[in-house]
Amino acid sequence: MVDAAIMDGPRGPKPKKTLSRRNIMLYGTLIVIAVYYLIPLYVMVMTSLKGMPEIRLGNIFAPPVEITFEPWVKAWWEACTGLNCDGLSRGFWNSVQITVPSVLVSIAIASVNGYALANWRFKGANLFFTILIFGAFIPYQVMIYPLVIMLREMGLYTKLFGLVIVHSIFGMPILTLLFRNYFTSIPEELFKAARVDGAGFWGIYFRIMLPMSLPIFVVAVILQVTGIWNDFLFGVIYTKPDNYPMTVQLNNIVNSVQGVKEYNVNMAATILTGLVPLTIYFVSGRLFVRGIAAGAVKG
Amino acid sequence: MRELAERGYLWCIALAFVAFVLVTIGLDYAVLVTAPWVLLALAGIAAVLLIVEARGVALAANRFKWYAIGWVVAAVVAMGLWALAQKDVQAAWPALKSFRKMWNVFEPFALFAAALFVLIAIGILAIGTLDKGMHQPGRLERTFAVNMSAKVAAVPMAFTAIGVFVISTGWTIYHSFTNSKLLPKSQFIGLDQYERLWSTNRWLVSIENLAIYGICMLIFSLVIGFVLAALMDQKIRFESVFRTIFLYPFALSFIVTGLVWQWLLTPEFGVQKIVRDLGFENFTFDPLFNADWVIYGILFAALWQGTGFVMVLMLAGLRGIDQEIWKAARVDGIPMWKTYIFIVIPMMRPVFVTALVIIAAGIIKVYDLVVAQTSGGPGIASEVPAKYVYDLMFGGQNLGQGFAASTMMLVSVLVVLIPWAYLEFGGRKRG
Repeated sequence: MVDAAIMDGPRGPKPKKTLSRRNIMLYGTLIVIAVYYLIPLYVMVMTSLKGMPEIRLGNIFAPPVEITFEPWVKAWWEACTGLNCDGLSRGFWNSVQITVPSVLVSIAIASVNGYALANWRFKGANLFFTILIFGAFIPYQVMIYPLVIMLREMGLYTKLFGLVIVHSIFGMPILTLLFRNYFTSIPEELFKAARVDGAGFWGIYFRIMLPMSLPIFVVAVILQVTGIWNDFLFGVIYTKPDNYPMTVQLNNIVNSVQGVKEYNVNMAATILTGLVPLTIYFVSGRLFVRGIAAGAVKG
Repeated sequence: MRELAERGYLWCIALAFVAFVLVTIGLDYAVLVTAPWVLLALAGIAAVLLIVEARGVALAANRFKWYAIGWVVAAVVAMGLWALAQKDVQAAWPALKSFRKMWNVFEPFALFAAALFVLIAIGILAIGTLDKGMHQPGRLERTFAVNMSAKVAAVPMAFTAIGVFVISTGWTIYHSFTNSKLLPKSQFIGLDQYERLWSTNRWLVSIENLAIYGICMLIFSLVIGFVLAALMDQKIRFESVFRTIFLYPFALSFIVTGLVWQWLLTPEFGVQKIVRDLGFENFTFDPLFNADWVIYGILFAALWQGTGFVMVLMLAGLRGIDQEIWKAARVDGIPMWKTYIFIVIPMMRPVFVTALVIIAAGIIKVYDLVVAQTSGGPGIASEVPAKYVYDLMFGGQNLGQGFAASTMMLVSVLVVLIPWAYLEFGGRKRG
């Protein structure tokens, strides 16, 4: 009888309750973790909008009583690093001048390289490629000093263009891998058909591969812009104070020993520096995830 | 005969190149310095043998002609570069003076390249004469004529791989055995730098910190990353919102991360003050100012920055797992946590290994975070090897120590990397 009662019960999957215990636990945990991840961002923004007296009195989580944008203005135009007191704007423009050519040069070279490796295999290519990929894991510290010598001898040490070369070199392994894997995934019939029609190395690259691989170029741009903008080590080694990129200047502003610490200005400067990669991240969304996954999983 | 000459020719060129690289690295022993030229001369003899075999040289009317001309042009350019580094030319042409240093750097390279290119041109001429109709492509042809555009396009890669990665690494390793101080020297002094390194307190602290940071970072980021990914994989709503939140720190630089957490952990304003204001007057939480805890303060920031990325990797791995497995496990009545631990995780081994390698590579490189968050303080309590290297190379003017320390970093990377590469690539070839 009992069995029959069960058999006669409602059919189909049990309707899910939105507020089941499992869901509360699940979403509760996720929200708590999400709050933890968001706290630093929140504190940064709040601190940068307060005046110094308010920071000294209140706690860092409290929203500002009196919103002021003065710290932002000060961080951008007036904050001091050593003797220069023209704010982060200088570092920003340096970073732009470093990032744009580095991204263009490294992607142009790496895409052609990846294409040659994927479609025009030749003997010895794998050896170079293996060395290149190994190079991606070698700590930069092993290679920085010889590069200093090379750049110094070429008269490019401390120049922005020298840093562009360094970024192009060190961006090469990951980008070449990215492009090689992408071009390998393009059906080979396409390539063969173009060969039969008489297209050469460059013809196939510009007429077939390039138009087909726009997404991977976007991914590469995201990867490189974020990586180069966020770089600190190369910036501090291969440039001089006038040419410091934004990250180095930010660190010098915040961690300078002399003077009263202006926490609000520091936080405004920190947000300003993080703004470029964050914007890219929020705008690009899925492509960013794909970029880091593609760059990493197969590395 | 032809086979032998071609083989000899190619081997001589390859060995000459290797010898040249070794000299560039700093091994300037007389034997090695002369070796490239002797080997190139031998290759020249082999080329002459080929010409003899072909009974004379003719500018064949096939594409070899153009390759040969191309190599001659390259040789002329290299010769030109070499000439620009000569004193007489520079004296005659004062405009060059401003670039003098640059030309001088390229002088040995240009000379070597010029000799090499001439030799290759001769080799191609010989082959062109020998094989006018291109009936049976020989070794030389395959090396220098087939698929030429791709090889030219790969020159930047070859330059980066050999010219930068191999030569720089070799150069640093070699000079870690010298007594370089303010300037690099080539006087060999054996293992002295390493002995001094391992008896320096600051280096030992750095290693200890790296070990603590590394082990904790590996364990926590793998565990947290996996748990987050497992939570995200429960077919939740707003997945993309959560993912965006967990991953955004990864877009920020280590400098920004370090500075934010420096601010959050400042005792007089940050977490400590908040808790004290809640009524716990004696609460102390000042990891950045306590020598015993400072490395954990850095770890905290690093985890905040990096776990989102591990989560994305793991999530991709979880999504790749067959849904049937979940159904089968449910049918068998296996609880969810058991399914994860005993079925899913073993299946995700490749993802874990990849994540492990990436995290490990990042651990050894950690530098900016420490600089931004603590500048190595209090005292030397949060020093890390990468910072030691930088400070000794560019601040302490003790290059030899810097080279020795960076070589140690390289060794530790290889300890991780070689077994992994062996498992990942070596095994596949055999299997």
